[in-house]
Amino acid sequence: MSTEQVNVTINGLSHSLDVEARRTLADVIREDVGLTGTHLGCEHGVCGACTILLDGQPARACLMLAVQADGAEITTIEGLADGDEMHPVQRAMKEAMAFQCAFCAPGFLMSTVALLEENPNPSAEEIRKELSGNLCRCTGYQSIVAGVETAVRLLSSTGTAGVNQ
Amino acid sequence: MKNPPFIYHRPESLAEALALLAEFGDDAKILAGGQSLLPVMALRLGRPDHVVDIGRIPELLTLDAGPSGTTIGALVRHAEAERSAAIATHAPLVAAAAPHIGHRAIRTRGTLVGSVAHADPAAEMPAVCLAVGATMVAASVGGTRLIDAADFHEGYLTTALEPNEILTEIRLPAWPGDAGGAVVEISRRHADYALVGLACIIEVGDGSITGAALAFFGADSTPVRVADAEAVLVGRPPAESAFAAAAEIVSARLDPPSDIHGTANYRKHIAGVLTRRGLAEAAATIGVTA
Amino acid sequence: MSIQTSGLGFVGQSVARIEDDRFLVGKGHFVADVQPEGGLHAAFVRSPFPHATITAIDTSEARRLAGVVAVYSGAELNEGTHPFVPFVASPGSYSPLYKPMADEKVRHIGDPVALVVAESRRVAEDAAELVIVDYDLLEGVGSIDKALAPGTPQLWERADGNTLHDHTDTYGDVDAVFAAADRVVTLTLDSHRQTNQPMETRGTVVEVDPATGHLTIHNTSQGPHVLKWAIAAQTVSQGQLRSFWQFLRNTQRRKAFFAAAKEFRTSNAADLKKQDNAAMKGQLKKDRSLLKHLGQMGLGLLAKDDYPTVTSVDIGGGFGSKGPVAREDLPIAIAAMRLGKTVQWIEDRVENLSDGGQAREERFDVEMAVNEDGTMKGMRVDAIVDAGAYPSFPFGAHVLPGMWKVYMPGPYHVEAFQLRTRVVATNKGRVVPYRGPWANETFVRERAIDAVAAELGMTAADVRAKNMMTEHDAPSHFLTGPTIDETMSTRKTFDRALEMIDSDEIAQMKADAKARNHRVGLGIASYHEAAPGPPDFADAMSPGAGMLTKEDGRATVEADGRIVMYTSQVPHGQSHQTTYKQVVADEFGVSMDDVEINWGNTDKSQFSFIGTGGSRGGPLGAGVMRKTARQVKHQMLEVAADMLEASKDDIQILDGNIHVSGVPAHGLSFADVAGEVAKRTGVALGPVFSHAEKYEGVGNGGWSCATHVAVVDIDLDTGKVEIPKYLVVEDCGPIINPAIVDGQVRGGVAQGIGAVFYENTYYDDDANLLTTTYMDYLIPTAMEIPEIEIEHLETLTKGENDFRGVGEGGMIGAPAALTNAVSDALGIQVTEQYLPPSRILELAGVIDPD
Repeated sequence: MSTEQVNVTINGLSHSLDVEARRTLADVIREDVGLTGTHLGCEHGVCGACTILLDGQPARACLMLAVQADGAEITTIEGLADGDEMHPVQRAMKEAMAFQCAFCAPGFLMSTVALLEENPNPSAEEIRKELSGNLCRCTGYQSIVAGVETAVRLLSSTGTAGVNQ
Repeated sequence: MKNPPFIYHRPESLAEALALLAEFGDDAKILAGGQSLLPVMALRLGRPDHVVDIGRIPELLTLDAGPSGTTIGALVRHAEAERSAAIATHAPLVAAAAPHIGHRAIRTRGTLVGSVAHADPAAEMPAVCLAVGATMVAASVGGTRLIDAADFHEGYLTTALEPNEILTEIRLPAWPGDAGGAVVEISRRHADYALVGLACIIEVGDGSITGAALAFFGADSTPVRVADAEAVLVGRPPAESAFAAAAEIVSARLDPPSDIHGTANYRKHIAGVLTRRGLAEAAATIGVTA
Repeated sequence: MSIQTSGLGFVGQSVARIEDDRFLVGKGHFVADVQPEGGLHAAFVRSPFPHATITAIDTSEARRLAGVVAVYSGAELNEGTHPFVPFVASPGSYSPLYKPMADEKVRHIGDPVALVVAESRRVAEDAAELVIVDYDLLEGVGSIDKALAPGTPQLWERADGNTLHDHTDTYGDVDAVFAAADRVVTLTLDSHRQTNQPMETRGTVVEVDPATGHLTIHNTSQGPHVLKWAIAAQTVSQGQLRSFWQFLRNTQRRKAFFAAAKEFRTSNAADLKKQDNAAMKGQLKKDRSLLKHLGQMGLGLLAKDDYPTVTSVDIGGGFGSKGPVAREDLPIAIAAMRLGKTVQWIEDRVENLSDGGQAREERFDVEMAVNEDGTMKGMRVDAIVDAGAYPSFPFGAHVLPGMWKVYMPGPYHVEAFQLRTRVVATNKGRVVPYRGPWANETFVRERAIDAVAAELGMTAADVRAKNMMTEHDAPSHFLTGPTIDETMSTRKTFDRALEMIDSDEIAQMKADAKARNHRVGLGIASYHEAAPGPPDFADAMSPGAGMLTKEDGRATVEADGRIVMYTSQVPHGQSHQTTYKQVVADEFGVSMDDVEINWGNTDKSQFSFIGTGGSRGGPLGAGVMRKTARQVKHQMLEVAADMLEASKDDIQILDGNIHVSGVPAHGLSFADVAGEVAKRTGVALGPVFSHAEKYEGVGNGGWSCATHVAVVDIDLDTGKVEIPKYLVVEDCGPIINPAIVDGQVRGGVAQGIGAVFYENTYYDDDANLLTTTYMDYLIPTAMEIPEIEIEHLETLTKGENDFRGVGEGGMIGAPAALTNAVSDALGIQVTEQYLPPSRILELAGVIDPD
């Protein structure tokens, strides 16, 4: 099986990978790099559980071939915390008790980080609209929206939502 | 749901890409944003032997919007168009479509030209092209071919492109000075593919409608314009009564499909509703309240 | 509450979740994360046809593909198993025996016919496409009507046509009550097919120890012990005689077996006596081979020295679909055993949509006998369930009749009730429990009550007020059997809900709506549920069923003072790890960090038939945690009293400090006390204090109740529906963690909203599945689910443990409240549960059906 070389930075670390072209970025992150925090909920780009940041922008890792990410900087959920210290968005979701089974959480967290970088003070309606690309089956979303609002509050006192690389 | 195997090509230039298509065209698919192609492959509904990734070809990044018209290259992402002040000014119908297109993560990767080439009948961009009368630029080893939007979409997921051609850019004519545009749609959930949608333009001069374009998506196997409805608007004041007259014709003319998301009668009905709403919104963008 | 403990008061607080510390940083451990080194991957070859006979399978080309390790036909795998046997035998029912793989016939789209094992999932899928299967097509049975029509092909040879169950239950003198009533209101109600759709699909990773052959199975099961025993029992390893001989020779095993059997018989004597043998006899009459299989499986189990370990760690939701054993679990285990290698199968979403679990496709012909003044006198219902092709093991559609018959008249005074239930087989994916599996009893009753109100010219609220039991006039038992006590508080929730509705505001909303060509409507639904219900609830469903529903739990303190709890619960979103720590920490008077909860691994957790589901986690799961913790605490206090030379009654525990009241400076730690016992008894490792129990709940208590109020705003131009207000007034007793309870209620309501306005597992009349991806099966997003207001009532019981379940309630009330609201908005009686925009406009008379 022929492979392509993919050079990619994930959570600040450089990786040089040899992958079959047909493999998705999601599968390569999970299997070759061992970062299983990015989840597969549907594998056809609808549920958003696989959302990562690609050069700072949210993208569905199941709808990218790994080879397309050659040269890119990727952030996954494992890259949000600073060592043992949770990112403000993670702290906010914990404080708000946003999730239940939390299988969808990685996608929501990355979408939220992206949202708050673009718009640090979104209305509840804007939050729901921006997060409508992430499906949750457990919560009915209200606690997640509360989590984003908590994150807004935490970030307004500490700075931007940006991810430190 | 893992992708079937294929031979992967990543040409560095347009010439290289066209040479690949000349050789493999019948068995190849173009990969740009991948937001339409990759789900198809994951479901193994499409199994091209070759995938030609045009994502690194610099010539395809053109985005040029100005008073004499707009050119959108094959690699312009929806997100870029959404943010572009020039597009908002000079191609307002494209700007109006952008927020409807999927979710932010889809818009990060998906391309406008890719959406047009993929030809999903419920997609916004093909209808926008039809409404403004865009010109598609198809390139092959044999040269460049210009195709009118009206001739471009031939059927469900089918366009006039030959297997050895790439849609390299879309050219939109200059936006008329007295025109307002709107894209409205009804979908089951927020940001879903439209059950029916409308990309419309209304031109007003001296208190009368001087021109109109009504391009529906989701109402047939390709985007469709309803000429009779457009004609009935011309010469009338841009008011609810005119819009309602157009709506009635639209509901009568369209022959939409029936599926598990909406019946044909339902689609006909909401096409009429969208006509009234779309025209009112388009008129409002140029300060006309119906 | 103990007078000796000053708990730090975790119970009742929205304590932050322990689980979040790993989930929020991407360190959850779900089945697809196990990724064992060198593990093989499996993909199933599945039928593209709804109904066909298999005439040939050719796996030769598939086998030759590079990276493929093995390809098995369904028949080859079935050689290695016994069939699934019916677990629930209700009167009038027949459950066909079937093996995990389809081998002669396929009975639904997605039916597994062969298995590929390869180095990667992608190669396995490549090879699966190379397996050639020849089918002779049969007519597909895609609806209840078709299943019952004469001449329709039969899915199961021994059934009565396609009817797998037909039984009528009668309470009171139905004929007399109907004859005497002023009026009979009739309607037919349809509920459509839905699917549970947790965000994580199912999966199994089967590891084989190369030296011993021991299986360790990582699985998404909500009931790991059931899975363990199913795999142990069903996988055939040797002949019957050989098993019997080995069993006789193994003295220790023989003695242990007879001791366990005696213990089971003694502790369940009453329930065993109540068992309705007619049900099992009826089953046996249809298929005698059941006895043979049970015998062989029993002997096989007895002869086995080694049973699999099943471990579920983090599970991404289930809502009941991960309770039954997946058919795929058996073939994957067999493949692993044959290859002597780890084999895993991670279900993909297309698979999950076709057979991950379906529910709710039910039709009800309802007759309500009422008087002109609105008094409800009697109810007659003829119910049919579309169960799909294969009965789920151990629980599926067959549990519905027992549940419906007990619940359907609801919290109302009704003098007579008759329920006929039929279960039919069709060529569709199988029915599994789905969050309040019986929920349509509320849809049926509450929709019918509104229809009665409309016909009598009364308001829906007035008819309910007239007939709903109050704490003063409730009888001692429901007409359908179970005891009623102070926890049956539906009336309180109803009264409170009415107080909270601002009628003027609603009237204004309705008036304003008309100007915009919208319609606003309000709908109410009230219900009660057993969570867990009184001891006679299980018997009312099925005599003797109580023996299945006891909850095991164990509390221990280790020699070093650590508190380690063992539960049979298997959390998949319910936050048991946190809530149980709250309960146990409060009981002992320690901090939550001092408590460890073990779950999910069959080697370490307690046995359960049911696992997690049925709203058991709070009342039974937490209940047994508290009870066993209390016992162990008393054991410790005995020792501490001795060590401190004080009376046990004078000793207090505060933040882990065991001391005589008022003298905290001279206290003992848990390690001190446990260490002392270890010294005295010579036990160095393992628990020094331990108490285990099979818990049934306490007293007569255990009803959870609620009233839902939905306000809908319908756009008559587009048929789209918004929900500007949604209120739940619920009473589940004292709440361990309010934020978690709120989350459960909202999640349930969200699934109810999805059910009514967005979700439909759509099969055509020939049983072709049309909703195969998430483009077509529409799960509501944050834009479709509104804010949901929750008001908590907390009715206490006189018993020692008040916790009552709440997980399912949201989905029980929502479809009824929403369809009532739509009826109110449009001024019609809605008789179906699926209301997409086109249907709304048809019902409103704006468009014609096609």
